[in-house]
Amino acid sequence: MPLVTRNVLIALLVTAALVGTVAYAVDYLNRARVAELSAIEDQISIDTLSLDTQFSLLEAAPCDSAASSTALTGELADLGGRLAYAESQLGSDNAQVVRLKQQYSLLEIRDYLITKQLAAACGTKPVIVLYFYSNAGDCGDCDKAGYALSYLRSTYPSLRVYSFDYRLALGALQTFITLNKVKDALPAFVIDGKASYGFTSLAALEERFPKGALTGAVTTSTTPGL
Amino acid sequence: MLSAMSPEALAYPFLFLAIFFESFLIVTLLSAPARGARARRPASSDAALPAVAVVVPCWNEERTIAGTVESLVALDYPKEKLSVILVDDGSTDGTAAAMSRFEGHPQVSVIHKENGGKHTALNAGIAATNADIVGCLDADSFVEPDALRELVPCFAEPRVAAVTAAMSVHRPANLLQHMQNAEYTFGIAFRHAVASVNGLYVTPGPFSFYRRAVLEELGGFRHGYQTEDMEMALRIQRAGYGIENAPRARVYTKAPSTIPQLIRQRARWTSGFLRNVLGEYRGLIGARRHGALGVLILPLALAAIAGSVLLFFFMLFTLMRGVLAAIEMRAGIPLSYALAPHGSFDWFYFPASGYLVLGAAAVLASLSLIILGKRLSKTPGNLAVGLVSYTFLYGFIAPLWLLRATVDVALGKRRGWR
Repeated sequence: MPLVTRNVLIALLVTAALVGTVAYAVDYLNRARVAELSAIEDQISIDTLSLDTQFSLLEAAPCDSAASSTALTGELADLGGRLAYAESQLGSDNAQVVRLKQQYSLLEIRDYLITKQLAAACGTKPVIVLYFYSNAGDCGDCDKAGYALSYLRSTYPSLRVYSFDYRLALGALQTFITLNKVKDALPAFVIDGKASYGFTSLAALEERFPKGALTGAVTTSTTPGL
Repeated sequence: MLSAMSPEALAYPFLFLAIFFESFLIVTLLSAPARGARARRPASSDAALPAVAVVVPCWNEERTIAGTVESLVALDYPKEKLSVILVDDGSTDGTAAAMSRFEGHPQVSVIHKENGGKHTALNAGIAATNADIVGCLDADSFVEPDALRELVPCFAEPRVAAVTAAMSVHRPANLLQHMQNAEYTFGIAFRHAVASVNGLYVTPGPFSFYRRAVLEELGGFRHGYQTEDMEMALRIQRAGYGIENAPRARVYTKAPSTIPQLIRQRARWTSGFLRNVLGEYRGLIGARRHGALGVLILPLALAAIAGSVLLFFFMLFTLMRGVLAAIEMRAGIPLSYALAPHGSFDWFYFPASGYLVLGAAAVLASLSLIILGKRLSKTPGNLAVGLVSYTFLYGFIAPLWLLRATVDVALGKRRGWR
């Protein structure tokens, strides 16, 4: 076999092996990401059940367990960030991503309901935002709205933000959307029970909050349960 | 995973080709012919050495010509067998005066002629000597004393019509020159590997040598779209001769110190390549009788130009899209939050896309070849700055001259030498 032909074949084999290894490594990393998401999700499921149980046990003095709910909300935010990144890497139509988003949405709804129950029992008024977005390419302002909410959550730690993919095929989520009367005009926000639509600026978004609610949220974060 | 419409998908074929070619170079460097070339010893017996003439074409080189000639007369070669011919191609600066210093030197002769272009200066110099081996050295280049003894044994094989040297940048001073030094050192490995399968398509101005009989047979140098060294190499290849490389024949050349100068120089080289290869020498592309040059080197060189321009636009598009999206997303958010880093390092967010990892592999292979080039040529000096500047600058600057050359060729635009 001529030298050039032999060297070309060896180089092709080396290149194919390298490309194959890279493809395998990237796939392995993505699978590891999904595995970590699943692990976090399992942990949060346990936390949710634990919280449910605590709430049932402490019906006489429910406000004693309020701190647990706050911790879960923080974990939910972390999981949300990881899930969004995994979605950007693996694609919105990836079956595992869709399944994890469904589980995540259920956890969010469960945490939201517990938070509402605790608030009713303890007489507090947590500031809650339900945020509905879409990754189907039909929501030009969703990235900006999501970033503004991240800023608000960072600035006002007690602000509770629950994000939902409006297009996600999940019965409980669709019921949740119907109950909150959220129309198909994204991005959509439900703040203090009132639905509003579109995003223009951070200032305009802040105006949708009840007067003093955001600054008050800082106060409630320092004295949870009040 | 990529979506089917991702622009990244366009980059993959070129990344594959880049890694394939770098693998080919490394495998070829390890093959018997290249090992044999490296084992070749410098000429030791003075009696067996052929008569050699070195032609130095000059056009406005008053600042460097003296150093060039001094390095030539200091070559470790029998003085009666080495002549230096300085050709002043109608310089308008002090080049003639600088040359006059050497007019009494027994090995040096000086020719003054009207400006006619580098190829005419080379032909005038060749016509003034009867030496069997004729070399050329650009007037801004300097040779190591043992360079000629390293080079001459390559002519032992009758099929060899030309021999190239190992080029580096002379005293790199700024980042751009260090970047070029790394690139030239890559060129040493490239030229050594490709010469071992007779795939060279350029015999660079700094210290390339020719068998005089072949030059006469082929008819001397031509304009060659301002790349007479490339045109001559292609003509030699088309005639069925071989072009060798002496990896330890070290020569240092001045490199452009500014980006506009560099782009002008490289656009001239690239447009010359395109005009020669796509014009008179189109028949070499894909020609099996020309071996590696025809079926591999020339097609890949053309693909590299297209791929570099495409990857550059892809990179620019991706970068601009990311920056614009980031700015748009942060509009109206206090800068104290928008500009601050958020979160801590977490492997989970490591952006390991196939495109990025393969790109990194291609860069690593390039850096390995640069280091190999330095080692096999035994070029002194520290390459650290060169490796860093090559890694971070080259990919942004090279596409500019490739693009300019491609546009010039497409529009039929001709530019001056400097």
